[in-house]
Amino acid sequence: MHGFYRWSAKWWPGLVPLAVLWIVAAWFSTPVLKADLTSRSTAALKSTVLDKTQISVAGRDVNFAAEAFSEEGRRSAVGSVEAVPGVRLVNDATRLVAEAKPFVWVAERDNVRVTLWGTAPLPASKARIAEAAKTALAGTEVSDRMGLKRGAPPRFDGAAVLLLEQVAKLKEGKATIMDGNVSITGMARDLGGREAIAAALKNLPEGFTVAANDVKAPPYVFRANKDPVANTLTLSGYVPDNNVHAALVAAAQRKFTNDKIIDNLKASIGAPGNFAPAVTSALGALSRLSTGTLVVNDREVKLSGDALYEAAAEQMRAGLARELPQGWMAKPEISVKPAAAPVDASVCQQLFNQNLTKGRVRFETASASINADSAGLLDRLVEIAMRCPTTKFDIVGHTDSDGDPAFNQTLSEKRATAVEDYLIKAGLPGDRFEAIGYGATLPLATNDTEDGKLQNRRIEFVVRPNP
Amino acid sequence: MTILATLLWDWLLGAFVIGFCMGWVAVVYRGPSVPKVWIRRLSVLAVVILAIAAAKLVPGRFGYWFDLGIALFGFYLLGCAVGSWLRDIVVTRQQARFR
Repeated sequence: MHGFYRWSAKWWPGLVPLAVLWIVAAWFSTPVLKADLTSRSTAALKSTVLDKTQISVAGRDVNFAAEAFSEEGRRSAVGSVEAVPGVRLVNDATRLVAEAKPFVWVAERDNVRVTLWGTAPLPASKARIAEAAKTALAGTEVSDRMGLKRGAPPRFDGAAVLLLEQVAKLKEGKATIMDGNVSITGMARDLGGREAIAAALKNLPEGFTVAANDVKAPPYVFRANKDPVANTLTLSGYVPDNNVHAALVAAAQRKFTNDKIIDNLKASIGAPGNFAPAVTSALGALSRLSTGTLVVNDREVKLSGDALYEAAAEQMRAGLARELPQGWMAKPEISVKPAAAPVDASVCQQLFNQNLTKGRVRFETASASINADSAGLLDRLVEIAMRCPTTKFDIVGHTDSDGDPAFNQTLSEKRATAVEDYLIKAGLPGDRFEAIGYGATLPLATNDTEDGKLQNRRIEFVVRPNP
Repeated sequence: MTILATLLWDWLLGAFVIGFCMGWVAVVYRGPSVPKVWIRRLSVLAVVILAIAAAKLVPGRFGYWFDLGIALFGFYLLGCAVGSWLRDIVVTRQQARFR
């Protein structure tokens, strides 16, 4: 022991190389140690939920700043870094994430993108909501501007995800969660979207209530376009159900005897009341136009196009609103088609025959009142009569053989007179034509079949030979 | 500590080797010795330094260098002790042979 004491008094010269070694060791080992501690501290925090985590190492001390979502989580995070082997001290600059009061979250949709505003309670729920937005709104840009704050109501994620599914049904609008209150405004993308959203909001998680649901339905639109060149009537837009769909197509076929019907209608809920009678009336008016478009937008009926002659235009301008059910509004924008080139008597007869072959002037059963479906056909007959102003002709009525011959005779005469009246109302001089009835005496086909009777019940226009 | 030893073993071994050489030489070295009173004072200083290190009073990078210095010095002293002890055995045997 005494020796050691003696020798140790002579150990001092070695301190000089030791000092050099110290400097060199400090120089080379510091960056290595820093990298090692940084990576192991970061790894230690991997399973901890934190926001804005910053780790910097000075020597063996770790400066640790982060925002935690609970006091327990904060302490556990600091403990994890302190437990990293080699760490001497942890300079704890952690704090709790701020609490939002009220807790607000917003998903806003415009024409271009969906923006997520407000706050989410945890990074995981933020990611989950952003992911749900991308899934629900596939094909739409999602801009995530959510922050992180504490204070979310329980089951917040579920409510947010449900609202995102509703935002997907909007064309534009906004869904908001404010504490437990949910509100949604905007315009539904499709018809029925408003109803679907209202139904879905009933499934909000417990603790959430609907404070406001101001989703508007898109306009209920029905369109019909009459193209005189292609001889087509194109129907598009919505109808309430398949029954109305079939009824409207059947009405179109009766009214547009010259045209091929192209049916692009879709069934959807949300139609205004009295949709079918309103559209039927409007189609009747469209059938009287040479070319025209009918747009039914909610309860507004817009009819534009060219009437075949001036009196028809005036009748429609004044009459369309009257024919519509109560509460409906008419917007007729009707001009008159320029008069067609005059033709001689034989062409006139040919044109009468063409039109009366494709379609028939229809009357109510056992009555002389003209069915509204025949207005379009009669207008075309009027236009033809106008093209041959010097030609005189007879309007001839025929019936089938059902019933009393005397009654049929009278009925055929009355029906011919009704057509004559129509022509006079259209502005044609009454001395150019005469109404004649032949009852069932000149059948075209057998009266033994329904089809034959149908052919026999007819109105003919017969051009008189020039004197 | 294991991690530090893994990272710093080469430097600590260097300090031990320097100490071993110094200890080996010190047994037969005839140069000046540190006075006893200074050894006592330096021992007190060493205790103070260890206390400062234990209390982690020096912050950051300087704290690490401080601890590194103490560790190197510790291994140096250990090397010195082992070196001197072994040399002493060798010297004692030689003296016994001469007698």
